[in-house]
Amino acid sequence: MSKTTLLAAVAFVMVVSALVLSIYTGPDYQSLKNQTKASDILHNMNRELPNFALIDHNQTEFDNDSFKGKWTLVSFIYTHCPDICPTVLMDMSMLKSILVKRSLKEVPEFVAITFDPKRDTPKLLKNYVTHFDSGFLGVSGEQKSIDQLVKVFGAYYERSFEVEGKSVIIPNGQPMPNDVIDYSINHTALLYLISPDGRIFASFPMPHEPFLMADDVELFIKNYQ
Amino acid sequence: MNKIKKIILALVVMTGFNTTFAAEHKNMMHSGVVAHSAWVRSAPVNAPALGAFMEIHNNTHSKVKLISAYVAGYKRVELHRTTNQNGVMKMQKQDFMLIPAQGRLQLKPGSWHIMLIGPKTVPSEGELVTISLKFDNGKTQTIHATVKKGKKMMMNHHKH
Repeated sequence: MSKTTLLAAVAFVMVVSALVLSIYTGPDYQSLKNQTKASDILHNMNRELPNFALIDHNQTEFDNDSFKGKWTLVSFIYTHCPDICPTVLMDMSMLKSILVKRSLKEVPEFVAITFDPKRDTPKLLKNYVTHFDSGFLGVSGEQKSIDQLVKVFGAYYERSFEVEGKSVIIPNGQPMPNDVIDYSINHTALLYLISPDGRIFASFPMPHEPFLMADDVELFIKNYQ
Repeated sequence: MNKIKKIILALVVMTGFNTTFAAEHKNMMHSGVVAHSAWVRSAPVNAPALGAFMEIHNNTHSKVKLISAYVAGYKRVELHRTTNQNGVMKMQKQDFMLIPAQGRLQLKPGSWHIMLIGPKTVPSEGELVTISLKFDNGKTQTIHATVKKGKKMMMNHHKH
C-alpha cells in the first residue's frame, strides 16, 4: 500500500467517524416529550455531571458513581424548612409508594441533598429524611461541592435573615456573616431524575403531583436504552 | 307496626343529628372570626421547625387581621407566607394575616402558615397542639390542631 493510499484511507476513516459522531448523539428522548405529564426531559448524551464528592447520611462517600447503574430521584432541601421541604419529601414518599405498587422492574433510589451543610450534618439528615421514608438517603458535604451541583442542576438558593426588621438576602456562593445562625433559605424546589448513565434525565417542577410523576418515571424507565 | 316505630325513631335521631350539625355549622359561619380544621404537619423528631395550617372564616362586615399566634413549648411562633417567585419558593415572615370581611383565609402548605420554631419536643402524629390566636379586633381563639401527615394530594388523585 502506497503512502498516499494509506493517508487517503486514514482520512476516509476520520471523515466517516466524524460524520457518524455528528449524526449519532445517542437515543433521542425528546420524542417522549408529548407523552410526559409532569416533567421536562433534560437528558443530554454530551453532558456528564462534573466530578463531585459529597458524604451521605451513613458517612459514606457520595459521588458520580453513586448515580451510575440505577435510577435516582434527587431533591435539594434543608431541615430548617417548615413548609416546602417537608412538602417535597412527602411528595417523594408518595411517589415512591406509588412506584413500589406498580411493580416496575426498578424503583429509583431517593436522595435528598442539603443546601445547608453548615447546619445539616449527615447524622442530623439521617434522622430527618428517614422520617418520610426509611429508604431515603440524605446527602451533605462541603458547601462548595454542593454549590457546584446546585449550579449544574439549574437549581438556586439564597439565604435570608432579618436585621432590625429588614430582610437581608445572601445569594448562594456568597459568604454569610459568621454571627448569623438564624436564617431561612429561599430555593427552587424541583425534583430531578438521574438515569443510570449518571446524567440528569428529567426535572419535575412544583407543584408535584405524585401520580402524574409516577407515570412519567415509568415511561422513562420503560423507554430507556 | 314495629317497622314504622323504627323508622320514626330513625327519623327522630337523624333530625337530632342534623340539628346539632346545623347548630355547629351556624356557629362557625355566623359568630365573628372563627378558625377551624387546624392541623400541624408531623415532622421528624429532630425537626427545627414545624408548620401549622387551618382555615379562618371572618363572618363580620369588617376586615380582620390575625396578629399573632402562641404555642407553649416553642422558642418562637411566627406568621409566614411562602410564595413562588419564578420557581424560587420564598418564605417571608408576616406582621399579620388579613382575613377579608365576609371572607376566609386558608393556611396551607406552600402558602400562608404558622411557623412553630424550636420545639422543646416535636409532637408525634395524632397528638393535639394547642394554638392561641390573637386578632386585631381584640378577639382571641384557642384551637386544637391535630398532628398529621396531611396526605391530601393522595386522596385527590385516587380517581386518576
